[in-house]
Amino acid sequence: MVGWFVARLGPVETLCPVSERVAATTVLSMTDPESPTESLDQFAQSLSYGERSDLSFKFLPRFDTAGIGDALAAMLSEIGSLFDTGDPGALIDLAIELQRAGYHSRPLTERYHYEDSAFTRPERPVAESQVALLTSSGHFVAGDDPQPFGIDSMTQSEAEARISEFLKEAPSLSEIPVDSTSDSVEVRHGGYDTRGSVTDLNVSLPIHRMRELERDGVIGSLHSTAYSFVGACAQLPLIKKTGYEWADQLVATESDVVLLVPV
Amino acid sequence: MATVTVFVEAFSHYAKAMHLPRTLVTPHPMGRPLGPPGDTARQREVLEAALGLVDTADRPGVIERIGGVYRPGATSS
Repeated sequence: MVGWFVARLGPVETLCPVSERVAATTVLSMTDPESPTESLDQFAQSLSYGERSDLSFKFLPRFDTAGIGDALAAMLSEIGSLFDTGDPGALIDLAIELQRAGYHSRPLTERYHYEDSAFTRPERPVAESQVALLTSSGHFVAGDDPQPFGIDSMTQSEAEARISEFLKEAPSLSEIPVDSTSDSVEVRHGGYDTRGSVTDLNVSLPIHRMRELERDGVIGSLHSTAYSFVGACAQLPLIKKTGYEWADQLVATESDVVLLVPV
Repeated sequence: MATVTVFVEAFSHYAKAMHLPRTLVTPHPMGRPLGPPGDTARQREVLEAALGLVDTADRPGVIERIGGVYRPGATSS
């Protein structure tokens, strides 16, 4: 247990009128005797679908208390360096390394262990192949909402709040024409920080980059439909049933290659 | 039908455990496996490296790592 007192005092604006962004945040206090105590472990847990849910850092509870403290201290140190360098590169690298360390810190369950590989040799070079795209990024065409739990236009926040229900729900595959414009494709996924995908769908559903590769002859052609689903779904139905059905669906496209992009 | 998978480093252990046929691992954060938003050059670099494995991998379970760093702000589009 670390004696870290964390209290929500309300908008900083009431204390110090700075930027609008800072005003929208809350502050930490180590002085208010009325504040409830909160351990580092509780703080880390709050990032994982708790009151401070932050899907980029939901891995933090995977560390022990000392590890959480070390991670926070390292990030603060890099932020301190930013005052002088102005270069966020080291902070970004650290955050990515912490993600790696967090997710690699626990062994995978048996369901993810396979003894062999389904290796298919290509019949022709990629430059002559039709390529299909399948991602678990949670993209769908605007107006064709997969409507999880029968809800249309569920927000990202709602999806995060209902993550435990998503993990019990059978997956649904969305079909996305590869000539879709960015503003005609939406993304919603309660399992990861979708902000990058919202800004540019190509970070996880690279339909525009793939079309450029098609245009430039790097690939023979791109199958006209890309496929996406919410990877945070019931895993056993995916492994035992839906995956086979989707494989048959992809085979029916007569594509030579499938590019898989899990997020 | 040949497959190739792009993972971020945080989940690369899945590729190893599952003996996926061909995997490219990127040093990118979760949710951005292809690269930073707007960085078309990086996104393309990753895709070409991944698809290149279809031509070059001669055995199952190949896991390659692409170099470079994740640096948003390079709006090459």
